[in-house]
Amino acid sequence: MRGRNLITSTLATLGIAALLLGGTREAAAQPDDEIEMDDPGGAVDEGEIEMDGEPERDLDADLAADTGGAVKVDTTSGDLKPVSWQDIVVVMRKPFLKIRRSDLMPFLSTTMNDNMVRHYAAGGQFNYFLTDVLAVGVEGQYYTKQFREPFDLVGRQARRLPTINQYNFSAALNFHYVPVYGKFAILDKKLVAWETYFTAGVGVTQSEVVPRDPRFSSFTNLLITPNIGASMRFFLFQWLTVNVGIRDYIFVDKFEPVGRSATMFTSAEAAKANADSALINNVMFQVGLSFWIPPTFEYTTFR
Amino acid sequence: MTNLSFTRAGLVSGTIAAVTALTFAAGTLTPGIARADEARKSSLDDQPAVRHRLLLVAKRLEVTPLFESTINADFRHFIGGGLKLEYHLSDMLSFGGIVVGSTALDTKLTKRIMETLEPNPDDTTREPSVQEFEQRLNTMPLHGALYVSITPWYGKLAAFGKAFVNFDFYFQAGFGFASLKSSCASNICSDMGSWQTDMPDDNPNNDPPLNDGFRPGLYLGGGIHVFVNEFIAIDLAIRDYAFSDNPSGADFNADLFVGENLRGDDDNRFLHHLFAGVGVSIMFPMKAKRTR
Repeated sequence: MRGRNLITSTLATLGIAALLLGGTREAAAQPDDEIEMDDPGGAVDEGEIEMDGEPERDLDADLAADTGGAVKVDTTSGDLKPVSWQDIVVVMRKPFLKIRRSDLMPFLSTTMNDNMVRHYAAGGQFNYFLTDVLAVGVEGQYYTKQFREPFDLVGRQARRLPTINQYNFSAALNFHYVPVYGKFAILDKKLVAWETYFTAGVGVTQSEVVPRDPRFSSFTNLLITPNIGASMRFFLFQWLTVNVGIRDYIFVDKFEPVGRSATMFTSAEAAKANADSALINNVMFQVGLSFWIPPTFEYTTFR
Repeated sequence: MTNLSFTRAGLVSGTIAAVTALTFAAGTLTPGIARADEARKSSLDDQPAVRHRLLLVAKRLEVTPLFESTINADFRHFIGGGLKLEYHLSDMLSFGGIVVGSTALDTKLTKRIMETLEPNPDDTTREPSVQEFEQRLNTMPLHGALYVSITPWYGKLAAFGKAFVNFDFYFQAGFGFASLKSSCASNICSDMGSWQTDMPDDNPNNDPPLNDGFRPGLYLGGGIHVFVNEFIAIDLAIRDYAFSDNPSGADFNADLFVGENLRGDDDNRFLHHLFAGVGVSIMFPMKAKRTR
């Protein structure tokens, strides 16, 4: 009896150990079980294959095909096997969820379409995503200016003083819509998800006249500023994205009157009252980092 | 009691055997798992990011009729059409050339300046006349580049959940060139003297602009192919042709003279000429291959 017990327990234990070892060997052998999708014969992988021999499937023809004589397959049967690995379609889960999350984006921007003065701006955006493709947010920017080469040349070569305004700050309420998303591979190694979104909003911009004659005082304008734009967002982490985009800020600006002189429109109020107006498209290129709040997300659907 | 004793003995013996066996199994298992992890890791590391990828550019000739326009030009916009030819040695490396013929349009800045200039030349004033200003501005009838291009990024995008298309980003660098032209009439640019032979008259408005001819330089570009099908792609690009130029043809270095002075400065300087381009790329052969 004692001997039987010992033998029984030893055999059982060895059986478990053998099972574990068998499983171990299987796991170790796993990397060799690659699936050859197009070449079951095991031809040498040359990196690319000719598609000439493979007939294209016509979706319209498939849809138009008569299926009356088709036999219904019992899919509950355990014997059903896929015809090939090609019948298994792998669909990636969306790599990044934005719904009910916010992003805080500090950004830098610069003028793209002014050949006299270039503005640099530092700003921030705060957006809340109502859905995964629609967001509402606010933004603010503070500008600094730099005169470009033609500003100096026009004065020296053509003996003309340009009439320009600088921008001080702007703020806007924006809506964002994401119609385009995709992914790309970098150097055939790393996959990065990205999306394109459009922005439309309205806000205010403060511009300030740069007097042609520094003896005269400047004046400021507070301008209603609709804006439209397109941007791309690259997903680096669950909590961080990189954004680049172009935004067109549209407003009717007021410029120093051409006839301002020592005898006319000397005061800022008089100059502002007689200012020349012009429609301005201030196109800015923006680069920013978005920090997402909350920094993680959970999928609510099954994989 | 006996049974219990036997049972305990059997249990102890079985437990010892089990522990021995499990220890042996674990000893064997642990290196096995480590080997499997190593094998799996190294195996994935060697794999491409995308399998069965359509090689939309590799070993294909790209022919692209295109349209190009300057971005943020100072005095004149250059708008024109041309052709890009590019051969893709692989899906990442290619070489090619581009030639564009352009016409010139005055910018709003030029129009505003000319509205206020004196109508006829007057050497008693420092300002140029309308003709002196306008005829000194140069045009760029032809420009182009020879370049090497790399395409490090490729991918797929979905637009409005309907259109699924392939795209790639590319970056180019090489040699650029431009043929510049200015046509200042002899009665406007009448001062043919040089700094070396004559004393300058301190009036740069009647000097020849010296901003024409062939200008070699450098070229940088970047763009995106959006593939409509296997052999047609929309090609959007930003191109920078950098070469020596003096677009206004006027005195830049403030020596009151247009041309080479005693320091060898002729008012030209190395300038970047930014263009935005859009084209339709047709790939030959029209059938694309796939990776494994």
